[in-house]
Amino acid sequence: MTDANFTDKDIPNPRSLTKTERRTKRRKAAEKRFRAYGLTAILAGLTFLVILVYSIILNGLPAFQRTVVSIEFTLSAEQFKEAEAALLKTRVYSNYFITSFTDTVNGLGLSSEISSDSIDRIVGKIGGTLRKFYRNNQDKVGQPITFDLPASSLVERYFKETFSRESISESNRFIRAEDLDLVDALADAGIIRQEFNWLFITGVDTGVDNPGGAGIGAAVLGSFMMMTVVLILSLPVGVAASIYLEEFAPKNWFTDFIEINISNLAAVPSIVFGILGLAVFIQFMHFPQSAPLVGGMVLTLMTLPTIIISTRASLKAVPPSIRDAALAVGASKMQAVFHHVLPLAMPGILTGTIIGLAQALGETAPLLLIGMVGFVARYPETILGGFEGPNSALPAQIFNWASRSDAVFVEKAWGGIIILLIFLLSMNIVAVLLRRRFERRW
Amino acid sequence: MYDLPHARSDVINSDCKISARNVQLYYGDNHAIKDVTANIADKTVTAFIGPSGCGKSTFLRCINRMNDTIDNARMEGTILLDGEDIYDSKVDPVQLRARVGMVFQKPNPFPKSIYDNVAYGPKIHGMVRNRSELDELVERALRRGAIWDELKDRLDEPGTGLSGGQQQRLCIARAIATEPEVLLMDEPCSALDPIATAQIEELIDELRQNYSVVIVTHSMQQAARVSQKTAFFHLGNLVEYADTGQIFTNPQDPRTESYITGRIG
Ligand SMILES: Nc1ncnc2c1ncn2[C@@H]1O[C@H](COP(=O)(O)OP(=O)(O)OP(=O)(O)O)[C@@H](O)[C@H]1O
Ligand SMILES: [Mg+2]
Repeated sequence: MTDANFTDKDIPNPRSLTKTERRTKRRKAAEKRFRAYGLTAILAGLTFLVILVYSIILNGLPAFQRTVVSIEFTLSAEQFKEAEAALLKTRVYSNYFITSFTDTVNGLGLSSEISSDSIDRIVGKIGGTLRKFYRNNQDKVGQPITFDLPASSLVERYFKETFSRESISESNRFIRAEDLDLVDALADAGIIRQEFNWLFITGVDTGVDNPGGAGIGAAVLGSFMMMTVVLILSLPVGVAASIYLEEFAPKNWFTDFIEINISNLAAVPSIVFGILGLAVFIQFMHFPQSAPLVGGMVLTLMTLPTIIISTRASLKAVPPSIRDAALAVGASKMQAVFHHVLPLAMPGILTGTIIGLAQALGETAPLLLIGMVGFVARYPETILGGFEGPNSALPAQIFNWASRSDAVFVEKAWGGIIILLIFLLSMNIVAVLLRRRFERRW
Repeated sequence: MYDLPHARSDVINSDCKISARNVQLYYGDNHAIKDVTANIADKTVTAFIGPSGCGKSTFLRCINRMNDTIDNARMEGTILLDGEDIYDSKVDPVQLRARVGMVFQKPNPFPKSIYDNVAYGPKIHGMVRNRSELDELVERALRRGAIWDELKDRLDEPGTGLSGGQQQRLCIARAIATEPEVLLMDEPCSALDPIATAQIEELIDELRQNYSVVIVTHSMQQAARVSQKTAFFHLGNLVEYADTGQIFTNPQDPRTESYITGRIG
């Protein structure tokens, strides 16, 4: 007990809990600084992410919107016969259309005369489209049909405000100021309207004359096929190799050598795998060029080291006491691994696989070398045939569009990036869901 | 009747279950077990005592070849189980471990449900034909492990979510579920309260009717209570191995004496 003569004030407790010591103060300051650094780093990262996502969305969203000119048109049976008998068949179709269109426009009380050139500039050459339609659907002859015609590149850009009236010069062959007047009037009358561009998602690549109709569907399918090949080849091989190396292989110079090589392979630039694929799969083994099968095989070579490294790391992270426990109740080594170690390592394996697949999905360089950047304007006829037929892939298609001169294609490239990111995001969601499932099992 | 003093540890007699001859074990350069020769009798509880780091766990792991899993461990000498060399190249360690069960020093339940923890061994050995038999077996093992009453309503919960003492008893239940002939227990009561300890000691006594039990313990009282034979290890040597009564009342070696009287260790 304290002496009655002393109060707390006279002899302050040298180690009061309420008084901060100097060392504690310094440690606290260090901690605060560290937190500040961390926070700054995260904020900087977030800022860049926001800028990135913002610019992608800003540039890419217009690709999901399109301008259509929807016009009702009726072709009578006599007109059909006459047109098919003519020498310049598409010209005749075109003329019928222009007459009918002029009537419609005049009926709205707009312009008195519309030249065929003007129509060409707004919706492109219409005759071919009409002829193809009526030849394939002869029962539609004589009925009123509403055609949704994609607007030409410049009209499209005019509505998306990436092209302005002021930039039209006298000599511009593609658009005139009076076309834009007409287009404005048609838009007011509801004949030209904006709609969601399904064609961008389901369609295939088009030539330079029809940038508005270009779609990414075939490339998505190509990428999907490649990812299937990569998954089927690399997951079992990678996991089996890692299990063998980690759990069964003797530890000697040979396995060390293999381990070093796998780590090195993970760092090899992807273009090297591309040229290897070109030399081995295409030139030596005579696999078809530009095929998702070969693309998938090349990407498998690239993905395997990633999967093996992450699988081994997650196998290593399983505490040895779990193996001991299984062995001690009489499980064989194989049972210990498959019943206990592998389920515990599964979340890590899945993460590694998804990272590997995501890398493979975005990889462009090896695809250039095996010829997957060609112009692919149709879907494969059969699913299996699609694996060995020429096809494109998402990043290659984006690369291809970005290097074309028409601004609409560049916009589609941005749109393609959005699709690519959605692809990646859904892969990650699948990984998270699978991981949850595995974690919930115990 | 097996409490009779055995004349010498290296005499093989009919009730000898395990016989270790000149066992050496090296962890790399570390000579952890030095020339240990001992017989472990059937239907007997044998206690291993000795200071920390003297090689009790290591020797225990030799008996069911768990040291096989340690990369740098190297064993010399022979260990016979019922007269068969367990380190013979023809011996399958999996079959050996089905007969020689083990409870580890650190509790290591599987990260699965309590039920699956106990059911795993019987399942892989095909000991049951259907679910109800398995249910029965699991209940029996958990009862013997002195943990059934605590856990009977929580069999679906993960075994890793239990307290340390509960995990230890779960591991004991898991080890006895496969009905091993020899049970090696490495400090099975180190995290248990006196009541659970008493229950485990009762279990050990019961197991002795049919099996051979080897128990490592740091508690002299426990060794004296449950075991009939006691082996004292020191720095990798088996210093003294005799009847428990003799070790605790009349140790021959001065090191044994100073250990049990609390002067070394
Ligand atoms: N896996 C291992 N690798 C290398 N050395 C080991 C390993 N396990 C144990 N040792 C060494 O072997 C010796 C004996 O260890 P062991 O675990 O058998 O001691 P113990 O008698 O069980 O001690 P405790 O009572 O503390 O459990 C110690 O010197 C230890 O450092
Ligand atoms: Mg130990």
